[in-house]
Amino acid sequence: MQPALSRRAFTLTAAAAAILPAGPAGAETPIRFGLTPVFLDNDAEVIDLMHAALAEGMGRPVELVQRRTYEEVTALLLEGGVDAAWVCGYPYLQHRKALTLIGVPVWQGKPLYRSYLIVAPDDPARGLADLAGGTHAFSDPNSNSGWLVTTTDIIRMGRRPETFFARSIFTYGHRNVVRAVAAGLTRSGSVDGYVWEVLKLEEPGLAGRTRVVTRSEWLGFPPIVCRADRAGEEGIRSLHRVLLELPQTETGRRTLAALHLDAIADEPPSVFDGIAARMADLEAAG
Amino acid sequence: MILRWLGRLPLAVRVSVLAAGLMVGLGIIASQQVLVSLTRSQESRLRELVRLHVDGLSIALGPAVLREDVWEVFDTLDRASRAGEGRRMVMTAVADSEGLILAATDPRNAPLGSPLSALAASARTLEDLEVHAGDERISVLAPLSYQGREVGKIVTVLDVSDLAAEQRRTQLWLLLGNVASTLLLALAGYVAMRRMLRPISTLAGHMSAGTGGLELIPEREIPRGDSEVGRLLRTYNSMARAVHEQAEAKRRLAERERFVSLGRLASSLAHEINNPLGGLLNAVDTIARFADRPEVVRKSADLLQRGLGHLRDVSRAALEQNRLDTSDMPLRAEDFEDLQLLMGPEIQRQQQELAWEVEAGPACLDGLPAAPVRQIALNLLLNASAAAARGGHVGMSVRRAGDALELVVEDDGPGLPPKALARLLSPEPTGPGPGMGLRVVRDLVAALGGRIEHRRENAVTVIAVRLPVPGRRDAA
Repeated sequence: MQPALSRRAFTLTAAAAAILPAGPAGAETPIRFGLTPVFLDNDAEVIDLMHAALAEGMGRPVELVQRRTYEEVTALLLEGGVDAAWVCGYPYLQHRKALTLIGVPVWQGKPLYRSYLIVAPDDPARGLADLAGGTHAFSDPNSNSGWLVTTTDIIRMGRRPETFFARSIFTYGHRNVVRAVAAGLTRSGSVDGYVWEVLKLEEPGLAGRTRVVTRSEWLGFPPIVCRADRAGEEGIRSLHRVLLELPQTETGRRTLAALHLDAIADEPPSVFDGIAARMADLEAAG
Repeated sequence: MILRWLGRLPLAVRVSVLAAGLMVGLGIIASQQVLVSLTRSQESRLRELVRLHVDGLSIALGPAVLREDVWEVFDTLDRASRAGEGRRMVMTAVADSEGLILAATDPRNAPLGSPLSALAASARTLEDLEVHAGDERISVLAPLSYQGREVGKIVTVLDVSDLAAEQRRTQLWLLLGNVASTLLLALAGYVAMRRMLRPISTLAGHMSAGTGGLELIPEREIPRGDSEVGRLLRTYNSMARAVHEQAEAKRRLAERERFVSLGRLASSLAHEINNPLGGLLNAVDTIARFADRPEVVRKSADLLQRGLGHLRDVSRAALEQNRLDTSDMPLRAEDFEDLQLLMGPEIQRQQQELAWEVEAGPACLDGLPAAPVRQIALNLLLNASAAAARGGHVGMSVRRAGDALELVVEDDGPGLPPKALARLLSPEPTGPGPGMGLRVVRDLVAALGGRIEHRRENAVTVIAVRLPVPGRRDAA
């Protein structure tokens, strides 16, 4: 994670957004779009592209707001600090009543992804059970793939998540989980399978220093959500349209290519049923 | 050993070598000083670098360590180790207040939760950090402070091999530079000293040149201007000239003395020639008058022959005395007969008694040159005759004494005055005055390697001269 760099990039793009031609009446208020470490948040180029695609498509200034944790972004979203945000399926379900879907990314043809359990390449572990008593890197306590999946797997094994690992840490970024395991800071890590696969293509030197032990079932891809009570607002509708039409514009296509995504589609909430099931297990254990 | 060897070298070389040596010494001391201060500045630079590094990490890590945020600590270390100055960081481990490792740049060697003490064993604290120039790695243990309290500890190993290499390089170049400049200075010192001392070498060369005494230094070899060396050489030249003049004067004096001794004999020799002339003229008259009386003529002719023979002997002896000087004739018994003949008239004039005793054979005399021995004997005899006064006694004996020829001249005069004695026995200058003949005797005896003894016994002055007889041919 390189906050200084991405913050600078953000400032630059915000400045660029400010001089974009004005759109329809009242469009002077920028649309604020929240980002989390769910995807490759350290890639300034990806962020620039996304900003450009959204601003072009909507014809009004767009502000990209980055926060370190899902909790912060979710809180911003609920209190109106951002108009929409790309979050994880887990926080979306946690606030299912207040939030509504405005798009689910399609990766490799499906709006689904998996959680990976990774270790160092020379680690003999063959499953989660072998990693008991070791150190573990989670991404974020509100991340599905980076926390919920592994925690509920431990519960499903009949073990207690707080004592299963000798020590666990949060890195607040899927890429950071890969770094922690690659460097040997922790023995194992829970990581977004989509992020790991993309890293394998973009940074093979980093992802290559980890090995996937187990993959979870297919679960709903981290969605783009907004507050349910604001879904009818012009800005939100415009954003929704632009997200769905990304494959039809040059900048949109480049953005999707940079993200290794096919498109962003309208999907029913049932896509997240798998996560909901895990949440139920967690609640039952709690 | 070296000193003795140095002592044998010429002064110019010695002083030049000394100058070069001093330059080398100066160079070594200067190099040493520069190296010492260079090392000191590098050590303080290194210490400052370590301090800045640790302070920087401390500031960056403080909050994360307080929260025991393992990832933040690791991420900070990881990014620090990738940044420019961080390349220096070989390893850094951070522990919480319990001393258990939170994170390290190399987590495999410093695992999460293991004690820091294993890594801290060889590390020094910042306070007693001893940085040695040439150290390749430095291990430091420092407290991590945040909000005024110690929240953890940090051990960091820094790679300072580049600084060590730089120092070695600097030292090498410095040393090479100093050696080069020192050698250059030494050479310059050597050459300058050689140049400055060249007149001294010239002086020494001229002073010891040849056997004919001091040699003048040509004007072109004397440095111009009023330098000490120039004055020295000019003074030497004037001294050499004075010595030359003195030697010349002495030679002229000896020459004159020879004539003086002959001169002193001249009037008695004239008498010696004049006295028989009356008798000879009478004989001629008798022959003329009694030409018809053969027995008278024969008797007169005999008388004439003897008289003229005596005259011939006397003049030959006088001529010989004058001529021998230039020839290299060996001494013969006849020379003493000549002397007796030359002295005879003077002795008679003074009505003195001359005791004459020559016992040395030709084998003994042969090794000595005639002229100086004759001059020695004649001067001593004239001196004795003058001292003995009218009616006195003069003695002369020549005999062999071991490997030497001994001439003993005695008289019953009042004895030699101190000044005359000094002239005879010592080489000290005595100033003008009578008795210069005795100084000639001393110089001649010295030249022949002989010695002079003077004694006074029973109111008789005895002067004995012993002349060693060199390389006797009959003994070979």
